[in-house]
Amino acid sequence: MKRIQFIDRMAQGKMSRRQMLSQAGAFGVGLLSLPKLSAAAEVLTCMEWGGYDVAEYFQSYVDKHGAAPNFSIFSGEEDALAKVRAGFAADVMHPCNYSVGRFVSAKLAVEIDTSKLSNWKDIFPALQTADGVLVDGKVMMAPADWGNSSIAYRTDLVDDDFKKNESWGIFFDDKYAGKVSMLDNELLILIGAMVGGMPYDEAYKLTGAALTEAAKTWGEKGVKNSRFLWTDASELQQAMASGEVVAAYAWNDVVKNLTREGIPVTYAKPKEGYFTWFCGLTLLNTGKADPALAYDFIDAWLSPETGKTLIEGSGYGHANIKSFEAANPDDVKAMGILDPVEHMKSAILFKTPTDAVQNEQNKVWGELKALKQ
Amino acid sequence: MTSPKPRRQWPDWLAGYALLSPALLVMAATLAAPVIALFVLSFWSQTGFDIDRSFTLANYWKLIEPSSEPMVWMGIPFPFAYPVAAILMLKSLVMSLVATVVVIAMAYPMAYFLAFRVTRHKALWIILLTIPFWTSYLLRVFAWKIVLGYNGAINTGLKSLGIIEAPLEFLLYNPIAVMITLAHAWIAFTVLPIYVSLEKIDRSLLEAATDLGDSRWQRFWRVTLPLSAPGTIAAALLVFIPTVGDYVTPTLVGGPGGTMIGTLMQELFLRQDNAPLGAALAIVMMAIIAGIVALFLWAVGYSKMRERSR
Repeated sequence: MKRIQFIDRMAQGKMSRRQMLSQAGAFGVGLLSLPKLSAAAEVLTCMEWGGYDVAEYFQSYVDKHGAAPNFSIFSGEEDALAKVRAGFAADVMHPCNYSVGRFVSAKLAVEIDTSKLSNWKDIFPALQTADGVLVDGKVMMAPADWGNSSIAYRTDLVDDDFKKNESWGIFFDDKYAGKVSMLDNELLILIGAMVGGMPYDEAYKLTGAALTEAAKTWGEKGVKNSRFLWTDASELQQAMASGEVVAAYAWNDVVKNLTREGIPVTYAKPKEGYFTWFCGLTLLNTGKADPALAYDFIDAWLSPETGKTLIEGSGYGHANIKSFEAANPDDVKAMGILDPVEHMKSAILFKTPTDAVQNEQNKVWGELKALKQ
Repeated sequence: MTSPKPRRQWPDWLAGYALLSPALLVMAATLAAPVIALFVLSFWSQTGFDIDRSFTLANYWKLIEPSSEPMVWMGIPFPFAYPVAAILMLKSLVMSLVATVVVIAMAYPMAYFLAFRVTRHKALWIILLTIPFWTSYLLRVFAWKIVLGYNGAINTGLKSLGIIEAPLEFLLYNPIAVMITLAHAWIAFTVLPIYVSLEKIDRSLLEAATDLGDSRWQRFWRVTLPLSAPGTIAAALLVFIPTVGDYVTPTLVGGPGGTMIGTLMQELFLRQDNAPLGAALAIVMMAIIAGIVALFLWAVGYSKMRERSR
């Protein structure tokens, strides 16, 4: 039946219900068999650490595509992992050397084709092949930023005893009850075990009765003494600026930002050791956006411009060799160690426990927090 | 001219459901379906990154599994192998109960004033009451964080008055901060139902009571309070039921000590990666709240009360 005829007859009410239905059915089939319209450009969705959602960290992406991607902020990789597993469609995630393996085990990460990254050639060669960047021989994370985790403390508000003998023990010292703040992370239990004399190489894989014991001896105390368990670095920064918190587990940026505000704060080198990490970008298979967008975003993160912002703004290191040439020499000098490999050797590099151990530690930590009196 | 067609007469109950159907459909899609999904999920189990879909009661057993070594929390022994759930359940119930009592104690006089003392511009008063709702709940919680905070309004105020030397630290990040925030957030919800039930009271009953020699207090206890009870009870339930499972308030102002059952559920679903156990906990919590509410209504004789106030 020709189209015009069809409409005419329909308008005149001359069409039987049967004819009408068969036409409507044909129309439906036709619609279904049409080639799918290319989905109206899906926006890139990235899972990021708080503070990393600022355009200056991926300026070339914004310049090219006109807008920033969508962000979902997480406070710990386990939260992000759970969110993606629960169905959140993210394209890019920002894990670290010790956590990327979790995304690989959960079958969420996709190998990165480094030939699509224009800045890859300038990445420190040691980082290109570091554990965590390569998982089972495949590039699963494009390394971007590196830094420390240690105790940031107010030099005017802690005792000289501590300053002379910097130690993670401050989190378990009743003298500082309610004046310290730990990251909301099971690491507190491991740090307690380290204060108790266990080396990190054993502490990170604590499990079973030993883990429960450490949680009881150290974890409970540490949670109780924490003013709050921080999940948001800006909240911690405010608390340290006001003196509400005098010492906290912190990354380089907190020290840098507070110093810039003129607050007397310093970064400890505790006798039990302090931590180092490097993080990067991982492609996820849950995303809906064009992978080319994801590659542009990752490439932007690897650019020397981003490295310059990181070094000058937060005191973090960057994976791109050229970043150190681009950044302000004073800020570079303030960093001390300029080579990521030397940096990793200078302190304790975070390690990945097995999935079973990580799950158990998550559980023990969750219950520990829930029962704080 | 044709005679009018005989109209198909629907039975009343069917017509009623037809009118209700938009609401019913929304409820079925957004309430019933998720609850059923949650119920089904609670009989599965989590193995690593996957969910094992074979039927098991293990999640429920885990919540009530007894242990010979009771865990003592706040002086109360909890004889469970997994005491966290029971402890937080009890804690949440107590915290919500306190918040509810505080809310009712503050809302009742407000509603009374509105119903009996305000004669002009009643609508204006009611609008004034809803002003806190013009901002989002999250903003109100943050506002409390600023009021109670270390350098917050209360602390700086007291300090400038010279009453305290150092900021009070017990204001924020504890269960009391959670209860204060909850009480403030829910008060407007409670004033309105109480106001409506007070407004409905036949004023001649009050006159009669006075004529027969009741004092003001006697009149309140014997006439006003019983007649406004249905609205007050409804208001109390309106606060109690949603606050037990609240998540955002304890997260923001509770600190590590102010956790509630909602916090544990979030932990189970997300960080601890055990959605089936979280589902079982949610179902048990719903059952416990339903039980408490039913018991409460039975104890106060709610059904009789409703007949009386009709």
